[in-house]
Amino acid sequence: MKRLAAFLAGALMLAVSIHPLRAEPRDAMIPNDAWKQYLARFVDSSGRVVDDANNQISHSEGQGYGMLLAFLADDRAAFERIWSFTRTELLIRDDGLAAWRWDPGKSPHITDVNAASDGDLLIAYALARAGESWNEPGYTTSARRIAKAIGKVMVIQAHDQTLLLPGAKGFSAAERPDGPILNPSYWIFEALPVMAQLAPETNWNALGRSGLDIIRASLMGPAKLPPDWISYANGTPRLADGFPPVFGYNSLRIVLYLLRAGMKDATVLATFQRNWLTTNGGVAVVDIKSGRIVTRLTEPGYRMLGALLACTTDGVNIPDDLRQFQPTLYYPSTLHLLSLALVLEKYPQCL
Amino acid sequence: MSLNRALLLVLLGTAVVPAIAQQIELPGSKSADKQDTPKPETSGAAQAAGTTPAPPAGNPAPTSPGAGTPASGTNAAVKAGPKVTVDESALRYFASQGDTRRMDAEIARLRALYPDWNPPSDLYAPIAQSDAELENMWRLFGEGKYSDVRSAIAARQASQTGWTPPADLLARLDEAEARRRLVNASDAQQWATVLRVATDTPALLTCASVDVIWRVAEAFVKTSQPDRAQDAYTYVLNNCTNSAERVATIQKAMGTLDDKRIDQLMTLERKNPDSVGEFKALREEMLRRKVGQAALDSKTLISQDELTAMGELARAAKGAGDPLVLAWYLYRHDQQAAALEWFKLALDRDGGAKAAEGYVLTMVAQGRAVEAEPIAYQWRDSSPENRKAYLDTVVSLLTTDPPILLDQSVIDHFSPIVLGSKYVSGAQALGWYAYNTGQLPIALTWFQTAVNWAPNDEPSAYGLALTLFRLNETAALNDVVARWRGRSERIMALTDPVLRARLAAEEAAKAAANPQLNQQLQAQQQQLRLIDPVGAAAARARAGLDMNSVGPVNAARAVGAPAPAASRIPAAYGTAPAAVGSQPAASSNVMSYQQNMPAAVGGPAFPAALGTTARAYGTSAVAAQAVPMQTARAPLSAQASGPAVEPAGTSVIVRKGAPEPRVSTTRSRGQVATRSGRGCLANTQNAYRSGRITPGAAVSRGWCLMDLNRPMEAVEAFDLALKNGASGKTAEDAAYGKSLAYMRKNLTNDAQIAATETPQTPRRATQLNVDILAQRAITSYKDDRFVEAIIALDERARLVPEDQGLMMIRGWSYFHLRDMQSADRIFKALAAAGNKDAQAGVFAILDYTRKYRY
Repeated sequence: MKRLAAFLAGALMLAVSIHPLRAEPRDAMIPNDAWKQYLARFVDSSGRVVDDANNQISHSEGQGYGMLLAFLADDRAAFERIWSFTRTELLIRDDGLAAWRWDPGKSPHITDVNAASDGDLLIAYALARAGESWNEPGYTTSARRIAKAIGKVMVIQAHDQTLLLPGAKGFSAAERPDGPILNPSYWIFEALPVMAQLAPETNWNALGRSGLDIIRASLMGPAKLPPDWISYANGTPRLADGFPPVFGYNSLRIVLYLLRAGMKDATVLATFQRNWLTTNGGVAVVDIKSGRIVTRLTEPGYRMLGALLACTTDGVNIPDDLRQFQPTLYYPSTLHLLSLALVLEKYPQCL
Repeated sequence: MSLNRALLLVLLGTAVVPAIAQQIELPGSKSADKQDTPKPETSGAAQAAGTTPAPPAGNPAPTSPGAGTPASGTNAAVKAGPKVTVDESALRYFASQGDTRRMDAEIARLRALYPDWNPPSDLYAPIAQSDAELENMWRLFGEGKYSDVRSAIAARQASQTGWTPPADLLARLDEAEARRRLVNASDAQQWATVLRVATDTPALLTCASVDVIWRVAEAFVKTSQPDRAQDAYTYVLNNCTNSAERVATIQKAMGTLDDKRIDQLMTLERKNPDSVGEFKALREEMLRRKVGQAALDSKTLISQDELTAMGELARAAKGAGDPLVLAWYLYRHDQQAAALEWFKLALDRDGGAKAAEGYVLTMVAQGRAVEAEPIAYQWRDSSPENRKAYLDTVVSLLTTDPPILLDQSVIDHFSPIVLGSKYVSGAQALGWYAYNTGQLPIALTWFQTAVNWAPNDEPSAYGLALTLFRLNETAALNDVVARWRGRSERIMALTDPVLRARLAAEEAAKAAANPQLNQQLQAQQQQLRLIDPVGAAAARARAGLDMNSVGPVNAARAVGAPAPAASRIPAAYGTAPAAVGSQPAASSNVMSYQQNMPAAVGGPAFPAALGTTARAYGTSAVAAQAVPMQTARAPLSAQASGPAVEPAGTSVIVRKGAPEPRVSTTRSRGQVATRSGRGCLANTQNAYRSGRITPGAAVSRGWCLMDLNRPMEAVEAFDLALKNGASGKTAEDAAYGKSLAYMRKNLTNDAQIAATETPQTPRRATQLNVDILAQRAITSYKDDRFVEAIIALDERARLVPEDQGLMMIRGWSYFHLRDMQSADRIFKALAAAGNKDAQAGVFAILDYTRKYRY
């Protein structure tokens, strides 16, 4: 507990440090107006975070993001609302993890009871931070339960490494010839030290190290970018069968996760910067084999990722239009707010 | 799993607070008392409260030593303790809102939790508090907006330091969310979560939300804890009063628990106000289910009482469902006569395809397949089961031992279905039917068809080989034997007398050495007949064959028994020519048979099964022509001007490269000419040996030999008749027989010579020539001698109009001669006349010309 408190103290100090700059309520790391817009657009009254680019479904990842953003915005009411939904609708698996997919158009609403480790990590992480910050032991208890379940179900040992399976079912070596299948963007690095406090029986530090190793080893193809889904069957990353061979919507948040965790790995970040910002002139979905751009991503939330990278590595100012949050779609808007929170917290000089 | 188990124990011990604790103490007698005097809920609850909930020692399966302790500590006893203050704020809120539904539910809930508690008399007094925010929270709660309540509480706590929500609101909110979570987990089949939530929130398990108890019970079942599931259902039946829910509880249990447990639950029945047991309808449902399940398994027996009850039920009901349930049970338990009655009733009550299927199967099982066939046919397309029932019915008819004379419609119905679905067993059955009724060429065609469809099907190949053996088609037989060498002894035996004798001897030895075994074998065969009538038919055919060649003891019989099955053919069915002639049905039967010949006889080695050959089985041309013809499918010729031309056709396939012409030859007026050769040869044997045979006797002998399919010997006999001074009618018969015998051997040139040896009557001469020329055309065509085929056809066309089958041969001959114009003209004319096969010719020409144009 003490170590967790120490960990959080740093974050709190940073939050305090930005306070005078933005004149936000104490502790908030996301501007209130931006958060209210996000809330109004993507969170319904039942506490469901709606993926409006994906048939209005919800998922454990979205609920986790919503809870984390609510915490960062210091909005306890919203946090309770989203957590209530998450707990009653998704957190029903026998193993203590969240079912990942919830469809408003289907009955029962859960259309895939499998778990997604990034969603569970986000939920547990948000609960842990909120429990500590707001002195809600109930949150911490729930966070611990989920953290233990993640450690038990999703964290595996293979090729002398500690790895994070993307799901509870369907990705392991036993289930697929090219398994285990990994998704480097499921390593939410900032959450791992917190998990280590909650569930010390799992080696989260090793998991963090392996995550970085795998990202480094996954920089492949002419563009030297990591594919969304990799096969780790022989201990070296390869393209996974049956998944689009792209650096896509999954992988583009790796930079955000690394930077939010303060992991300024020079090799990886330089590669991303070179191939994202210089060579490709912006954020894009890139075909791994050819290195060509499949889709250029122009929404502010995606461009913000590039701006964040430029800010953190070269001290480039965040462009004015990205400083103001305007909700677009759920996913880029979420990335936008998480990036903004990071800049406000740790890189105010880019503003 | 151990976690699960621990949870279950906790649940039983502590959690199912008022629930299972109450009923554990009331197994047997006490609960019966309760049942006799149904009381309002309060008194029941009071009774339960008066007795301390039993510790899990009384629990059916205490497995853990720790299981006894948790119970006493924490459960209802504590909550229901006299000092407890009941939080009535929710109740008062609902009352103030006039929400009686929620108010009643709340009263029920509180009563379940606190058995001593009674609703306050001042329920409708104005609520003291005037906290608008809190009221709003209760309102949101009442509307089921739990997330909103959570959010509102958090917002107020953030804005108003030190504010805490009422404990009751939180408790209710926890319960409400837990209920949702439990339902979601149950929907997602996360049974451990269901049980964990129930454990954590025991207040959920009350009569106010019976659905939750059902779900918990289901979770117990799914985690292999039927005892606990039964406890949960028992709790509902002991404590809850809503009659619809009580009935539904049994229904839920019926979906998850076995009959024994259901019976136990049923003992908790209460009487409705009209003194009828509340589960009466369910008992009927139980009975239905029980009989229905027993109907699936012939080893599961239902008591006579229950059967009687089911019978009453079935009679009383209006629908076909109950009669069907009972009928299927009876059918599977070998009570066919009774089953048939119920199936009949089900049919009368519009029981549809299922009733028809059962009716048919039962009839067949009773040996009444003939009666069953029309209804089986009528329902054949209703479902796969009905189709199977139909096919089985006809197969059993075709393979009946001894063979029975079938109505033409049976074959008419069956053949297209066999062909359409390439039903190998059906083709085989038709083969055996033809074989057993002496129509060897037709049998050949069907067996060949079966072999084409299923080249590795031994029974089909055996049928084919046996038929070839009987037809003395040595080359073709050798081919079949070669294909099956090392794979089928009985097929190999057909060309290997030593092996044949050995097999027969082995079987005879077996039978002799062990009569019991023999009986067993017979029983097995009987069994086989039921399961696989076609296989049984083959077995019979083999038995006959072996008898033919088994040795001196049987030799005498063998001589007289030409065809294994022929000897079993009913006497009325063709022993004497006259009898055959007077059997129009037999004849028409064969006609239809021929018209439905399969469309795909391959096998270049086999002579086509020709109508003429079939006719060779006829007794005489005169007799044959005297038979009234039923030309079901009027073959051709609007200009049927030929004097004695009765167009008919055996479909024959001649395979020539890519296109497959389907040809029907003319003139087959074969009949089921199964004159038994027995006696027939013996009658003339002595005279023949002595060389002093009269011409008349020699002719008879010739026909006998024809019937035995020994055409070359028949030629000798007919020759002998001519040599011994036959004259007039006898000479004519002899020459006619001789030419037929040659035709049987495909020696058409010889046949023509034979036909000219004696002047034939004009009509017979024409007929013979026509037959010979048709035969020659077909033979030429098969040998790729297309010019000769056309010459023969032209010659024949001068005598009689050409039928569609031969026109097809003509068309294909032109086609192969690349005279596309002529071929096209013929095919188009045929197509215009409605001949579907001709279309293939038109397409083949199109295909050909296109190919060469580009």
